[in-house]
Amino acid sequence: MNQIQVTGTVDRKGFGTGTWVLVASSGETYELYEPAAELQKKGLKVKVSGTVREDVMTLAMVGPVLQVAHYEVLEA
Amino acid sequence: MKRLLLSGLFLAGLLWALFSFRGLATQGTYDSIILDFREDLGAAQVEQQVQGFAQQFGATPRFNSAFSTDDHVFVVKGDRALLRALLKSPLSRYTEIIEPNYQYSTQLLPNDPDYGKQWNLRSINIEPAWDSTRGDGTVVAVIDTGITRVPDLELTGFVEGYDFVNDRVEATDDNGHGTHVAGTIAQSTNNGKGVAGIAHGANLMPLKVLNANGSGTVADIAEAVKFAADNGAHIINMSLGGGGESQLLQKAIEYAHQKGVLVVAAAGNEGRNAVSYPARYRHVVGVAALDPAGSKTPYSNYGAGIDLSAPGGLKNGDDPAGGILQNTIDPARPGTDIYASLEGTSMAAPHVAGVAALVRASGVTDPDQIEQVLKESAIAIQDDARNYYGAGKLDAAAAVKLAEKGQITFRDFFNWLRENGYLNPRFWIDGGVTALVPKIAMVLGSYILAWFLRNYFPFSWSWSLSAGLVAGSAGLFPLKGFYLFDAPQLPFRLLGSSIPELGSALQGTTLLNPIFASVLIPFGLILLLLGHAQWKWFAIGTALGTAACLGVSAAIAPALLWLGSGSLAQSFLAVNAVLCFALAALAAKPEVRHP
Repeated sequence: MNQIQVTGTVDRKGFGTGTWVLVASSGETYELYEPAAELQKKGLKVKVSGTVREDVMTLAMVGPVLQVAHYEVLEA
Repeated sequence: MKRLLLSGLFLAGLLWALFSFRGLATQGTYDSIILDFREDLGAAQVEQQVQGFAQQFGATPRFNSAFSTDDHVFVVKGDRALLRALLKSPLSRYTEIIEPNYQYSTQLLPNDPDYGKQWNLRSINIEPAWDSTRGDGTVVAVIDTGITRVPDLELTGFVEGYDFVNDRVEATDDNGHGTHVAGTIAQSTNNGKGVAGIAHGANLMPLKVLNANGSGTVADIAEAVKFAADNGAHIINMSLGGGGESQLLQKAIEYAHQKGVLVVAAAGNEGRNAVSYPARYRHVVGVAALDPAGSKTPYSNYGAGIDLSAPGGLKNGDDPAGGILQNTIDPARPGTDIYASLEGTSMAAPHVAGVAALVRASGVTDPDQIEQVLKESAIAIQDDARNYYGAGKLDAAAAVKLAEKGQITFRDFFNWLRENGYLNPRFWIDGGVTALVPKIAMVLGSYILAWFLRNYFPFSWSWSLSAGLVAGSAGLFPLKGFYLFDAPQLPFRLLGSSIPELGSALQGTTLLNPIFASVLIPFGLILLLLGHAQWKWFAIGTALGTAACLGVSAAIAPALLWLGSGSLAQSFLAVNAVLCFALAALAAKPEVRHP
């Protein structure tokens, strides 16, 4: 699987019925795959590691689907 | 003998044509009959006939309106049997006309109270399409979060689907997305409630592959595509995407296509030059999203794989006006429904799926032909160098009209090539990006100019001259419509452009840039290359080619950046064309030849 580390800011995108995303400092947008309740907070700065799920499709279609394995809140 | 045979055949053909011509009248409906009594009859005689009529046929003719008294025009309730009986009865002697009172229907203006907020339906020109069909008899599979029968789906037909997330037959929605998408396709219409749907006579097949959070696996999606194909779906809508390339899903789509199913999918919402899977697969109609003004939305993906564009909505914050309004479940309060205004390419795809159902109900059943009808009837966008819009903007009325003609010719040669696998599916050609006739005129024009010049200053044809003529006049123009998945299109645009078009290619527009579309570059090239025996001819070729390109542009489409498309642009182009030719003539003169 495609293991990656991303630092960025959590945001909520309104496509369809809405979804949680992580906007990386590099600019890339990842769609968070079933994020933990603590991660569901707009503006949260986090450092996460996880896998990009190539086998998952979504209704939001805003970027690669990132399943978070570990996360560290940098700034609430 | 031969002549007799031919005359016989001709006569037979004529008779066949006469008998098979049903005329327009037989297609009308009526539930009353017009009786127009002779003008020379007195009021008493007419009254007598009317009373006799009432006794004989058990129905009383009435004046059609207050204005019909003098003309003796009556209307009586009745059907085809009564009409026949009347025509045979003695009454016909007292009348001038006995004929069906045909009903003339006007366009459907649905009574759904919030129909007025559905700018998206008017922007695809739906009302004239509804005159012909409502999509009856078609089955549209919605592969999504499931469909719940909300109040404004009360009259909509359903066929059995499947919930691949929870593995059960009932495929209700726990997110709200699938029901919304289904509403765009077939919301109950003219039911005095809520909003309208495009193909409200069609049946929905709910296939749930996305969970309450809106995500699902490629394996479930592939199975759902196969299920739809095996269970009588005619059209599949997939307002979903992402992930990587999947052979399983690709095979399922091929299978559905072979079984005669048209597959439609959303382009994706990343706003970049990379269309999502499954929209980018072969045999999938990829749909980009338009805003209420009809421009590409900033979020819609574009480039290779976009086949059509349709309304996806663009909301300004919480203002619902710019979004697509449909009835769906309220995910926050289970068991209740809301009218939600959503945006995204997810909302654009079901517009195409709905119109595809209308096209199918109009008699075009082959999926490739349905796609062709949708593309040919779309409103083409001239200035679309980045392929934001595919073949153009969806037009429901034009699509149904074209479908009703019944004969679809595969005019799009590039499409044919692609469908037959002559081209690698990893690249993609937009055959409509360049208008062919002006390009051919430019190339031919440049050769004619060269031939003309040669009459005065004899020179021999050389590859460098030819290359110059092509570069100056039209470039390798087929490359302009060439798209490689995920790769920037700029290199192809540059190679596909002539020298005068380079400025436009860089900016991605079709307006000519006056700096490039002038005598400047040929002049520079001639200054630079005049000393070289061979390359000099390339420079002369570019000058002649540019002259032809500018000349043809001045005559056909004088559209220039900053200068507009009026007489100013036209004279600018014409003057520069003449300057280019003069420059070529000057450079080709033997005396000027450098030692």
